[in-house]
Amino acid sequence: MKLRILLADDHEIVRRGLRALLERHEGWEVCGEASDGREAFEKALELKPDVVIVDIGMPNLNGLDTTRQLLQHDPHFKVIVLTITDSDQVIREALDAGARGFVLKSDAARDLVSAVEALQNKRMFFTPRVNDLVLAGFLEKGHSISRNEAPKLPTLTAREREITQLLAEGNSSKEVASLLNLSTKTVETHRSNIMRKLSFHSIRDLVVYAIKNNLIQIEIPPPPKTPTGPTAA
Amino acid sequence: MAIRILVVDDHPVVRQGLKTLLEGRDGWEVIGEASDGAEALEKAKYLNPDVMVLDVTMPKMNGLEACRLLRKETPQLEILFVTQHDSPQMMREALDAGARGYVVKSNAARDLLAAVEAVSQHRIFTALNGRDAAGSNTNSGVHL
Repeated sequence: MKLRILLADDHEIVRRGLRALLERHEGWEVCGEASDGREAFEKALELKPDVVIVDIGMPNLNGLDTTRQLLQHDPHFKVIVLTITDSDQVIREALDAGARGFVLKSDAARDLVSAVEALQNKRMFFTPRVNDLVLAGFLEKGHSISRNEAPKLPTLTAREREITQLLAEGNSSKEVASLLNLSTKTVETHRSNIMRKLSFHSIRDLVVYAIKNNLIQIEIPPPPKTPTGPTAA
Repeated sequence: MAIRILVVDDHPVVRQGLKTLLEGRDGWEVIGEASDGAEALEKAKYLNPDVMVLDVTMPKMNGLEACRLLRKETPQLEILFVTQHDSPQMMREALDAGARGYVVKSNAARDLLAAVEAVSQHRIFTALNGRDAAGSNTNSGVHL
């Protein structure tokens, strides 16, 4: 029987690349694709894949919250997180969310097949940096990962995190309500609770929080061209 | 029409995705790949492609710098940017650097084939997410 894989990334071109990479492996098939976390969640429930591969930086629902929601719904889901960064914070969040694999996008061509093989054999797959961090935490903090640098902020519920991401992506309360099948009033109540919990006063604060906590990701453009010749006075 | 293409992006998975898409078209061939601007310059010299599909943000030498140098060294080569930057300013800079086309990565599956076809015929193709380029005489999703 074939190993069935669900792929979730907001870039179709990346999904094509990943599909080509995975389907070269005999006995594996990509049974479905999703372009955001919400679609990934729905398709995972519908298709019941053996492995779910989620990009962290997806719109509507990011990959970490997708992982949390999937495992909350059914702890048997096996999730590999794809990420552009292996910062300590992202690693911690991926482990906390319950991911069994952690692969850097830049290394996916090399590591993703190994990661899926590991999960197929009921093992986990992490990059060397994750292993180092886990080991360091184990040695230094008595069997747990160090959280010294983690910001001490009030915990948001899963629903509040979802709404925070959607608001930070520029959606109005009405649009969030429509996306989540909630009433605008309910979203406004969640929004007030989020702002109160985090002591925020503006949507700008919320956007900064969403970026710092990897709910959304931004692309930094290269610096503009610097003039090479002499400039007129 | 046969088109020989060089694909340049620092992510192998993205290169694979672009390659799969491009080679789905009869007669089009991805003759090489490069993972940064410097490698792109080198490969452009000896592979002599018709079109280069080029990312902006890459290590060693970014796509804009590579494009400026390529314009001088291989003027017959047509350059198409495929980038994450959905920005009129970045698009203007790419065209100023000598590119003939600009496509946003999130729309590449939709726009790439039409863009390569246009630039291979020396026509401009630009496509942002539903916006016109600032100060440009090109329109979103339009090849001139």
